[in-house]
Amino acid sequence: MPANRHAPLVSREPLDAAYFVLTFRHPEIAATAHAGQFVMIKAGLSVEPPLRRPFSILGVDAKEETFSLFIKAVGAGTRALVRLTEGEVAQCLGPLGRPFTKPAAGTEALMVAGGYGIAPFHLFATELRAEGWIGRVFYGGRTVNDLQLRDRFQELVPLVPATEDGSHGHRGRVTAPLLAFLEGTRGPARLYACGPDPMLHAVARIAEDRGLDAEVSLDPWMGCGIGTCLGCVVRTQHEDEARAKYRCACTEGPVFDASLVVWPDETASRARRRAKVEA
Amino acid sequence: MSLAVEIGGLRLKNPLIAASGTFGYGVEYEGLMDLSLLGGLVSKGLYLEPRDGCPTPRIVETPAGLLNAIGLQGVGVRAFVADVLPRLARYDTAVLVNVCGDTVEEYAEVTRIVDDAPGVAGVEINISCPNVKKGGMAFGGDPRMTAEVVSAVRKATRRPVIPKLSPNVADITVFARVCEETGADAISCINTLLGLAIDVETRKPRLAFGTGGLSGPAIRPVAVRMAWQAARAVKIPVIGIGGITSGRDALEFLIAGCRAVQIGTSNFVDPGLYERILPELRDYLERHQLKHVGEVVGTLEYPGLPVSTEVVS
Repeated sequence: MPANRHAPLVSREPLDAAYFVLTFRHPEIAATAHAGQFVMIKAGLSVEPPLRRPFSILGVDAKEETFSLFIKAVGAGTRALVRLTEGEVAQCLGPLGRPFTKPAAGTEALMVAGGYGIAPFHLFATELRAEGWIGRVFYGGRTVNDLQLRDRFQELVPLVPATEDGSHGHRGRVTAPLLAFLEGTRGPARLYACGPDPMLHAVARIAEDRGLDAEVSLDPWMGCGIGTCLGCVVRTQHEDEARAKYRCACTEGPVFDASLVVWPDETASRARRRAKVEA
Repeated sequence: MSLAVEIGGLRLKNPLIAASGTFGYGVEYEGLMDLSLLGGLVSKGLYLEPRDGCPTPRIVETPAGLLNAIGLQGVGVRAFVADVLPRLARYDTAVLVNVCGDTVEEYAEVTRIVDDAPGVAGVEINISCPNVKKGGMAFGGDPRMTAEVVSAVRKATRRPVIPKLSPNVADITVFARVCEETGADAISCINTLLGLAIDVETRKPRLAFGTGGLSGPAIRPVAVRMAWQAARAVKIPVIGIGGITSGRDALEFLIAGCRAVQIGTSNFVDPGLYERILPELRDYLERHQLKHVGEVVGTLEYPGLPVSTEVVS
């Protein structure tokens, strides 16, 4: 059950390029959060900016009763958060939403991250590692500056970096090394993706082409995080539904089965199209 | 000391009501707050049938405000009555249903279904949603249509009837009076202000619907002014709505003449706000040596300058 409380900032770690790792004390999140879940958080009590912001949970420490977020200071809400000093509080509600589904035993978890979409995969890799499962992270960005957490997976899972300008790892989009890996792989695999929508759609297509299961973490504008404002809806369609429905990313996601998502330039979900072909 | 208020035959244990469209169907907040803290809650707007609502993006943040075009996505009144009302019955709070319609007949039909349902304290009439093509603001922007809808709903229920007025009119007192004359027990003022936010890079509206409804602290002075005008124009109680985030904000509406208030956008920001605002109200009554919150209502000392008569008339 999510809890709403004032969470004091415990540590503030500035990285390069306006990225930060912020750690807050919040016992319920620390004790119960799973990878893919998120928090709604806002610095202090001021009315400006009005809304809390959603962030994927980067990591938890049950013993210290803390959790961490990976934040890029880009607007008023994020700038206010990274300006907090230790001991100052944020209004924080969480953990919220549907987490990633763990892969079956022996199935490799292939995690595809774009930029700050890396955040949930650190917690996911930690969970997988603790249970002895295997995984691999494909981490893409425009430049090396977008790969701020690239050194934090060393103890967890192999990491394959890619940058569009070639400043680190593979030159080009992150889906290229993913495809190359899938060409060579023999064991069963399941895809997970978090990042910009075009990247999520590309991963969904790759999964569809290869008959792989995939989950995507969507990141629409969110107002409340608990399913009341209906601002964050995404169109999804189960195979037995004639029409796509708007579903709240905050309560029915943010992690969705990629085959259920109706992407912006499409009229039906992969699951529905498949069901119609088979019928 | 008492925070209890009475609105058109409806007794509330305190003047704080969760506003329609900002509180889901109430049950979403189970576990995050004690719903029995509320004086009342108003359901998301309900039509006869489920509705999809607007395409996305549906919300955009603006200075101290929120611009939305949700378009009344909802489960339909029958699902609400069957699935939600029984769950709300365990809480000690007044449940009001916000009724919508594409036609006058639909408003009446939704109201009849609600009237038969147990656990409904009153009916709020949505004649002010700016984000639907039919109904909504189209009814609330025309005094004759307002009269038709309010009369039809009045005939369809024994419960208190509370039209929710649009601020997107030249003179809200005209609509307040029409509601009073056609049988409303109270009025809610105000719904969202029609707004437009533009992405200058794409030169398109930032909301998929185009325009949207503005809410939040940004609109509070406008809301207080309109609720004040409405309260002076009619004898039925006025429920003030617009940008309340604190006890002081709520008191502005009460002093302006509102018998109760609704809290909207702030529900999205802080589910803990009722626990914060109720003690603020009690503290205010204590400091001003008042026994009953009703003693604050309509106590505005407005300067008697000539300009005020122009504003009010």
